Amino acid sequence: MAESAQTEQSTPGRNYSAFDAQLTHQALNIQMFMRLLRWTKPYRLTLAVSVVLILISVGFTAIMPVLQNKVVVDEILSPTTNYGDMPDYGLVAATEWISNTFSIHMLAAAVVLYVLMIFFQSFMGLAQQLTLTSAALKTLRDLRVDLFASLEMKPSSFYDHVAVGRVMTRVTNDVENLYNLITSFIQYSADFVLFFVALAIMLDFSGQLTLVALAIIPVAAFATYIFRMVMREIFRLIRDSVSALNQYMQEDLMGIEVVQLSGREKQNIDEYNELNRENKKQEYRAINYEVVFETFNTSLTSIAIAAVLWFGGGQVIQESLSLGTLIMFNQYINMMIMPVSSAGQLFNTLFRSMASGERIFQALDWDERLHEPEDPIQLPDRLRGTVEFRNVNFGYNVGEQVLHGVSFKIEPGEKLAVVGPTGSGKSTLIRLLARFYDFEDGMIYLDGFDVNHIASGDLRKRIGVVLQDFHIFSGTVLDNISLNNPEISRERAEWAARVVNADYFIQKLSDSYDTELAERGHNLSQGQQQLLAFARVLAANPEILVLDEATSSIDTATELIIQDGLHKLTEGRTSIIIAHRLQTIQECDRILVLHHGVVRELGTHEELIEQRGIYYTLHELQFQDVDKPDAFDTDIEEQRRQNRRRWVESTDDDPMGGPPGGQMGGLGGSGPGFRNPV
Amino acid sequence: MGGGFSRGGGGHRASFRGAPTRERSSFKHLGHLKKLLPYCKRYAWVLVFSISGLLLQRFGMMWLPKFMQVGIDSLANPEIPPNIVLPCLGILAVTGLNFLIFVWARRALRRVSIAVTYDLRKRIFGNTQIQGPGFFNKFSTGDLMSRAVNDVSQVRMSVSFGWVTVVMFFFTITMGLVFMFSMSPGLAAITILPLPFVALVGFFMSRSMYPYFIARQEAMARVTSFTQENLNGIRTIQAMSQEASEIERFREASTQYIKKAYRATRFMQFMGISMSGLTMISPLIILGYGGSLVLEGNLSLGTWTAFSTYLVMVTSSVTQIGWSLSMFTSAAAGTERIFDIIDHEPEVKDDSGSVIDEDFPAQIEIRGLTYTYPEAPTPSLNNIELNVEPGKTIALLGRMGSGKSTVLKSIVRLNDVKPATIFLGGHDICDFPIKKLREQIALVPQYAFLFSATIKENITYDDPEREDEAVWDAIDAAGLSDTVSEFVDGIDTIVGERGVTLSGGQKQRATLARGLIRDSKVLLLDDVFSSVDTETEERIISGLNRLRADKTTILISHRVSTARHADYIYVFDNGRILEQGTHEELISTGGYYADLEGVQSNQDEDQSRRERLIRTLTENRDDPEDDVTSVVAS
Repeated sequence: MAESAQTEQSTPGRNYSAFDAQLTHQALNIQMFMRLLRWTKPYRLTLAVSVVLILISVGFTAIMPVLQNKVVVDEILSPTTNYGDMPDYGLVAATEWISNTFSIHMLAAAVVLYVLMIFFQSFMGLAQQLTLTSAALKTLRDLRVDLFASLEMKPSSFYDHVAVGRVMTRVTNDVENLYNLITSFIQYSADFVLFFVALAIMLDFSGQLTLVALAIIPVAAFATYIFRMVMREIFRLIRDSVSALNQYMQEDLMGIEVVQLSGREKQNIDEYNELNRENKKQEYRAINYEVVFETFNTSLTSIAIAAVLWFGGGQVIQESLSLGTLIMFNQYINMMIMPVSSAGQLFNTLFRSMASGERIFQALDWDERLHEPEDPIQLPDRLRGTVEFRNVNFGYNVGEQVLHGVSFKIEPGEKLAVVGPTGSGKSTLIRLLARFYDFEDGMIYLDGFDVNHIASGDLRKRIGVVLQDFHIFSGTVLDNISLNNPEISRERAEWAARVVNADYFIQKLSDSYDTELAERGHNLSQGQQQLLAFARVLAANPEILVLDEATSSIDTATELIIQDGLHKLTEGRTSIIIAHRLQTIQECDRILVLHHGVVRELGTHEELIEQRGIYYTLHELQFQDVDKPDAFDTDIEEQRRQNRRRWVESTDDDPMGGPPGGQMGGLGGSGPGFRNPV
Repeated sequence: MGGGFSRGGGGHRASFRGAPTRERSSFKHLGHLKKLLPYCKRYAWVLVFSISGLLLQRFGMMWLPKFMQVGIDSLANPEIPPNIVLPCLGILAVTGLNFLIFVWARRALRRVSIAVTYDLRKRIFGNTQIQGPGFFNKFSTGDLMSRAVNDVSQVRMSVSFGWVTVVMFFFTITMGLVFMFSMSPGLAAITILPLPFVALVGFFMSRSMYPYFIARQEAMARVTSFTQENLNGIRTIQAMSQEASEIERFREASTQYIKKAYRATRFMQFMGISMSGLTMISPLIILGYGGSLVLEGNLSLGTWTAFSTYLVMVTSSVTQIGWSLSMFTSAAAGTERIFDIIDHEPEVKDDSGSVIDEDFPAQIEIRGLTYTYPEAPTPSLNNIELNVEPGKTIALLGRMGSGKSTVLKSIVRLNDVKPATIFLGGHDICDFPIKKLREQIALVPQYAFLFSATIKENITYDDPEREDEAVWDAIDAAGLSDTVSEFVDGIDTIVGERGVTLSGGQKQRATLARGLIRDSKVLLLDDVFSSVDTETEERIISGLNRLRADKTTILISHRVSTARHADYIYVFDNGRILEQGTHEELISTGGYYADLEGVQSNQDEDQSRRERLIRTLTENRDDPEDDVTSVVAS
């Protein structure tokens, strides 16, 4: 049992509240971002292309004012003074070349050059956007699938503690937020590149004037910083208030019937509005700052323009600066201020996505999983079906032991009914057998193989489990039987449905096996759902059947059909059934009475009745016939014994897993496989 | 402001090729936005003032290029003395003033949008509270949540930015044109030539956005519902070892989604480039034609510069209209979905104000009750006649879908029954205000729902003021005291999603306690023992008989062992009463009830009786529930 020594995998000690906790929203979690980049690996080439395209596009954007002002204003429109060797990046030469080659006016040549530049800039920009979107979407699709896969593999102990709604939003909303992170990050870097290119060009023209223009940058940056500091807390409060609001509504809607029956509508509306008001209050607070910040940044641009006009104007008067340069600077100021002022908005996205990223990685990193054997046993193609529990002790939480030294053995083809009062550990028993939980104390053997040495996926193929809360998925009836398992053909699914008596109601549905079922089978009755669950297990044809019999209300007539279906399902198959119905119990060969996690009684019906113990009491109550105290006289007992013997004999030469259609036993169980055990 | 807007591109929904044809592309859907008007009306004055403020601010912005023009002309033209001080001061003054106006106007506008959000949420929530089963069959919880969360936030965007952008759009264009025409009418006329084409392209392209946008939304909805369902059924998936194929199916759904999302982005990008491509013609005209005017000396250099700046203002407004149209489109879709909820009339109308003296006997009488669920083809109840005398307990038995639960729901008016069919203490239940009626009659529904709250809060849900002692009494009567006293926190233990997980039977008993604590005149139990073992059930029922000696109880059960404790038993089938009588009477009559009794107590090996029952079940399948099933399923 070396593997089971990994104690950290058991539930005790885990802090599930981490899934509810507010996550820290650290300013830029670089580590997380780098980690996210790992998912971009298959799309790095696309991303690289996108980055190159951004650079080219930005280059054109940055150089266009040079053409407009340096070439058009200074060279063509206002060629007043020669200011010496001002850079023009070959644009003057290019314009002259076009002008000479096509013998057109310099102005026309400049227009042609301008058109070409706009053309390239736009199409590079378009291509960049498309490549980026494509890469980002695919990256996130992969991340989403990985996240989903990791959730898919989380053990039951995880879902016992963490509400589905809480992990679900990580797959949907949080991944969407990351999409914004990736795109805004790249956008931001484009703005950033533009900032530096513009800066370089400006410095090239006039260092002094650049300094004047740049004076507003620290102010803008400082304002952004202050804004972030102030807003962090407010944004957190807003998030909290929104999630409180949503949570309240969700729960209220789920229990709406109770709300209405308790006459709580008014109070709940008030309570909801209280939360709603709190949200409004926080939102109001936020805009007070937001508005000042955003407006301040806009105003900065105007101030910078005034400053440039002031200083630059003076220089133009002193003829140390060309007019074109002055006009051009004003255009660059917009380019420079944009990344700084849009930083505020981008930071919002960034921070929201950071929190989302944290939530996603929290779920991915949650290492709770069933321990899998390093070197799993290769099971034979078909197990005989012996199940043995040997001194199994188990508890879900530390200090709350549910099973105490449970030991029993079931022979191939035998049916064991597990009975006991609510909370006695019956369900736990089968959960351990199907390896929904790890256990360390004790052994469970399957045909002599330690289940802890069998890969859980393999094990579950051998053990068909019908849980009490079997889930009907939205999809067709057929999908629900085969569970989209490609190995299960339509014929096999239909055969399984016929065998367990599900066929009769399926045929009545509008599209029989192709009828779309609503989520949780809302358009089927409980009994129909149960039969569907039987068909599902039968189609998978496991060697061992584990069934937590539904206690929910099924009328007796439907119950008869279910009993008959169950009978055919268990035929010749080792079965462990948590039984709530007398009929079911009597179908079984032996009965195990579990009480407070201890095996109190184990034996045939007759033996246990004779013991006059717990089973006897339960049995008496269920019969509930005070008028006939001699209900179980020896005649009936004898007959029952005979029946069982007959039945066991008949199943011996009628092994399970026959060909499709081989078990067409209709309703009423008059076929050879059906015996009324009474 | 503008920098942030155009960034939205990736998130917008549309598609260029492979357009879904289901929705006709048009602007008709924008009509849904009209519904928001009443919500904005109360803020009409704030809106008028803040819009005026924004216009004023924009007007100020319009003067900035003018100042620049004056400054540059004074520099370019040697005949004019250089004048840069006044323009600089002008720019600063306008900026300062604008700052104040802008802060105030923006704040006021956003406050309105927050207030409208608040009002919408309030209305949505308030209206869901009074809806009946028809509504909740139509809208799942997840659906309602997404409307209250996502759609409301989309609408909020349009209220705060969208239409302001439109107002600004027209204003900026008008002002820009006024300035341009005043400076050089000839150049202005030529410059704006391409703009109508830009508007046309924008108009046609944004008109076709809606369907793509819906397609993307739907693909996302599929991912969401797949995830939700899968995780809810995770144990079943794991038990059947189907994780791998589920992951594959999830990948397929996610891929479908990113395809739709990509198409949406591509559409937006194409739209953007077509519009900006056309828009770029105008600066070219200024550059070329305007430049030649400067060369000929017909235009000053300063005017030329100012012209470019105005043009940027006008063209950026034109391109922004596309953005606001797309936002309006999504807001319109959101509005439609929100008002689906807000405008939904509750099935059960609580319009009676008559006050009934509470001193009446706990008697229930049903006279000729026929009830058909909304949209069901056949009635679920057919001419039901039933009478319960005060202090009696009656049991309803019958198959699934035979109408038992419908009877109980009708008594508390969860279903909308016709007047004068059900009477409580001689008064028509439709004459009671619903709240009063439900105070008199406690129904414990079949589905045991507990809120994530303490046990006490759950049990005292109708009246949180109740004493602990009463809570313990109810818990005791519901047979849950052993379980609760084992909890460290007792009745203050939190249950549900965030707390202790109770078993099905424990949950049922907790909800039973919630019904019992009310000690109401009439208690309706809808199969509340189904997950409780028979031993416990016995104990609870005998306790109930003692506690509720003078009060009326109607219980639904599938167990004869439960029903036999009742004073009178009704057997339902197919929406009708099949048999009625006391336990002994029904046994001696020898019908369905007797058959049930026989099979359940399992005392006889009368195979023919079993088969008779099974035949009844399989042959008589045209009951209302099945019809509903096939309708829903198709």
